[in-house]
Amino acid sequence: MTVPLEYFVIVAAALFMTGAVGFLIRRNLLVLLMSIELMLNAVNLTLVAFNRQHVGGHAGQIFTFFIIAIAAAEAAVGLAIVLAFFRLRSTVRSDDADLLRN
Amino acid sequence: MEALKAQFPATNFTLLAVVLALPLLGAFVNGVFGKRLGKAGVRLMALSALGGSFIAALATFLLLPKGEGGGSLSWTAWRWFSLNGRMGQTIPIDVAFSVDAMSATMMLVVTGVGFLIHLYSSEYMVKDPGYHRFFAYLNLFCFAMLTLVMADNMAVLFVGWEGVGLCSYLLIGFWFGDEKNATAGKKAFIVNRIGDFGLLVAMAILLYYTGTLRFSEINASARNLLDPVTIWPFGNLPLEGQWDAANPNANGLYKAIVHLFLPEKGVQVYASTLVGLAMFLGAAGKSAQIPLYVWLPDAMAGPTPVSALIHAATMVTAGVYLVARTSAVFLMSPAAMATVAVLGCATAIFAASIGLFQHDLKKVLAYSTVSQLGFMFIGVGVGAFAAGFFHVFTHAFFKACLFLGAGSVIHAMHARIHDTDKSQDIRNMGGLKKFMPITRWTFLISCFAIAGAPPLAGFWSKDEILWRAFSTKIVAPEVARDPLWTWPSWLGQAIYWVGVVSATMTAFYMFRAYFLTFHGEFRGWKIVAGWKEPKHGHDDHGHDDHHDHHDDGTPLEGPKPHESPLAMTLPLMVLAVFAVFAGFLMAEPIHVEPLGHILSPVFTRAHDAVVLRGEGVEKLMWPMMGPGVAAFLAGTGAAMVVYLNKGGAPEESFKKAAPGLYRLIYDKWRIDELYDAVVVGMVDALADIFTAADKWLIDGVLAKLTAAIVAFFGTVLRTFQTGRVQVYGAAMAIGLAGVGFFLVRPHADATVDDSKLRSAGEVVISAAPGPGYTYRWEGTGTEQKDFSAAREVRINVNPGETKDVKLHVRNAFAQEATHSFAITRPGRGFPSSAAQPPLVPGTVVPAGGGSIPAKDIPGLINPRGAQ
Repeated sequence: MTVPLEYFVIVAAALFMTGAVGFLIRRNLLVLLMSIELMLNAVNLTLVAFNRQHVGGHAGQIFTFFIIAIAAAEAAVGLAIVLAFFRLRSTVRSDDADLLRN
Repeated sequence: MEALKAQFPATNFTLLAVVLALPLLGAFVNGVFGKRLGKAGVRLMALSALGGSFIAALATFLLLPKGEGGGSLSWTAWRWFSLNGRMGQTIPIDVAFSVDAMSATMMLVVTGVGFLIHLYSSEYMVKDPGYHRFFAYLNLFCFAMLTLVMADNMAVLFVGWEGVGLCSYLLIGFWFGDEKNATAGKKAFIVNRIGDFGLLVAMAILLYYTGTLRFSEINASARNLLDPVTIWPFGNLPLEGQWDAANPNANGLYKAIVHLFLPEKGVQVYASTLVGLAMFLGAAGKSAQIPLYVWLPDAMAGPTPVSALIHAATMVTAGVYLVARTSAVFLMSPAAMATVAVLGCATAIFAASIGLFQHDLKKVLAYSTVSQLGFMFIGVGVGAFAAGFFHVFTHAFFKACLFLGAGSVIHAMHARIHDTDKSQDIRNMGGLKKFMPITRWTFLISCFAIAGAPPLAGFWSKDEILWRAFSTKIVAPEVARDPLWTWPSWLGQAIYWVGVVSATMTAFYMFRAYFLTFHGEFRGWKIVAGWKEPKHGHDDHGHDDHHDHHDDGTPLEGPKPHESPLAMTLPLMVLAVFAVFAGFLMAEPIHVEPLGHILSPVFTRAHDAVVLRGEGVEKLMWPMMGPGVAAFLAGTGAAMVVYLNKGGAPEESFKKAAPGLYRLIYDKWRIDELYDAVVVGMVDALADIFTAADKWLIDGVLAKLTAAIVAFFGTVLRTFQTGRVQVYGAAMAIGLAGVGFFLVRPHADATVDDSKLRSAGEVVISAAPGPGYTYRWEGTGTEQKDFSAAREVRINVNPGETKDVKLHVRNAFAQEATHSFAITRPGRGFPSSAAQPPLVPGTVVPAGGGSIPAKDIPGLINPRGAQ
């Protein structure tokens, strides 16, 4: 017995919404980065799930690997930025990143 | 001779290239290598260039076809460019030169007098550090002047015209270290620009009406210029009546305003008058006539040989040459000729009156030149082209001699007086006849010549001009339309008498200058026998360069003034000989006129147009010589009494009796001040207006307004740029949601191709593509139950029939949308044609309206399409 496709999609949608809402309403840069990871992984989940429907092809899974790699790179760069920002302003609140304003 | 003739055929007369190339080569070599060549080398180059050019010019003159019909020698260098005429014809403009009797004579004057003046300058300028520069300019001037006189068409003439203007500018401002000289050069250049504008306009009109710029063709087709030109209202503005007819519904105020600007009746003149006046403006600029004469007296700031060559003998006569060259054009317009003659006459007497009391020797000569140029314009203005040109010829000799004599005097004065103004002031001279005999005698001879003493050169030419003014009238050409303006009978005689008065003044001021310079006691400095030059030398500056070491109030002392060296006196003697004998080249009353004989074919058209004023006038030729001779005697006698016998006392008493008038004449009637106030003031005022407009309108309104608009939008847009990542993220999320919503909705759009509706009744409807779209068509004839991928459907409609077609679109999410079309084909009664414009999409009426909108019906029954 296999888990129906809809379940995967629903879980992925929930994950994605969690990530999106978290990204929009939280102010901690580290949480923002984690929210982005959540959204990327939601997409990964849908890709893998849909790939199962597509017998004989592995494009979705390959895509997932790519996304994981990119997510790793993004996290590295993002954390570096957060670290630099913290050294500069002694905070990780996104609202305080306003050096270029006005 | 025969060998030369065979070598240089008349239509490919390459000797002209030699005449032109030598001065150009001289200018190049002296200009580029002059500094390294040293003074001897520069002198050799300049003199041999001009000498060779003179020999070639002489050969040209001798090879000129003689005989009744005249003839010319021509050489075409290359095709310059070509234009399109008003008839659509191609007008070639060549760099071509052609020489007839008049240009050959001018060539001899330019190269001959030019050579003498080069020779003179080689000594006069010897102490100047800019020796090579001077000769480069002088050679370049000769090249440009030769281009001007040898030009076959007006385009080449214009090159020479501008070239001499440039050299004149460079040489007036030769000692540019002095602000005054540089200003004088600029003044000459700018005043000449005004004239050049006139010349360009004249060229454009000639090109339009005669379709050529070649002098021979212009003169041959001058009658084409008898075409009326509307000069007001200009452009294509209508007359009042025409405007009213075109705008019948204009209301009162609008009409009144327009009427304010549009004339009731147009003003028309003949094109020939327009060309003549525009050309005269050019001539007046170059030849220093009223109203553009103001630059010439200031041009005396240049070295004296320059004044002799450019501003007396050659360049300033270019205007006279131009008028004589295009004589046929002027003969087509008596009004233009009258303008030339009257302004020439006015210049003659006006400049002569200014010359009466000038103290600067060169200024006297300068105003004398302006006045004599006026005489030349009287000549060409009354139709005596040969006489006017003859005065150019004789004037070149005696005026060059006078200027070089003045230069010789200034050279002597410079031994002790280094200030330019003081060394040229005749009040500082006097008694020089003892010290400078050659200068004195040549100067005296030239004075006699310019004053018109028989039988010297000036007498014959001036008398000829005055006699022609008195005795002839100009026959206006026959025209079908309004007759041309003709001369009133008194005009010629009035010009004659004004000319006689100016001639009297000429004699007076020339002999005034002569007596004050060469007679009486020397007033320059105290002459000390055996005087030694003080320690400080003044070797390394030029003659007119002023370093006055002695301006401390103590009276100057010095040796006797010295006569100039041979290189300077030789040209004086040669020119004086010509000043005596040149008149016999065209002495009409005694029937010795070889020059007149060869010039006559050049002005054949003047023979018919300029006729004797009445029966028996020719008998007055000898009697009418009387006033001319009397003018010479009166002027000379008066000068002799005032300045020789009474030592200038009457001038002093006149100065005391009428100080205002004396001052006014001395200040040249304050014309410069008038121009300064009117013209320069006007330009300044205009500039002020533009500055204000720039400051308030451009900067104040336009620039600030655009800045304010940009700033406003910036303020608005800035509120969106919070700098908060989450706000951007939210905007992106909302935007993506919007795009997603749009993509999820089905859209039933279609384009209708009805180009074959009229002819074949066929319409093709293609639905727009979309993600996962399938289509179903209704009402196409073949029933379709299910959605399919067929995007296009072809429908046939019978004439007069209307079909309703319905499109259903379903997308990947199984949502549907519909769109209805009503296709109507016009009935059989209508003509049909593929040439008709296709039905605009407006005729495809969406569901609900089954008929064609009323506004499109006329297009459907357009009878134009009937086949």
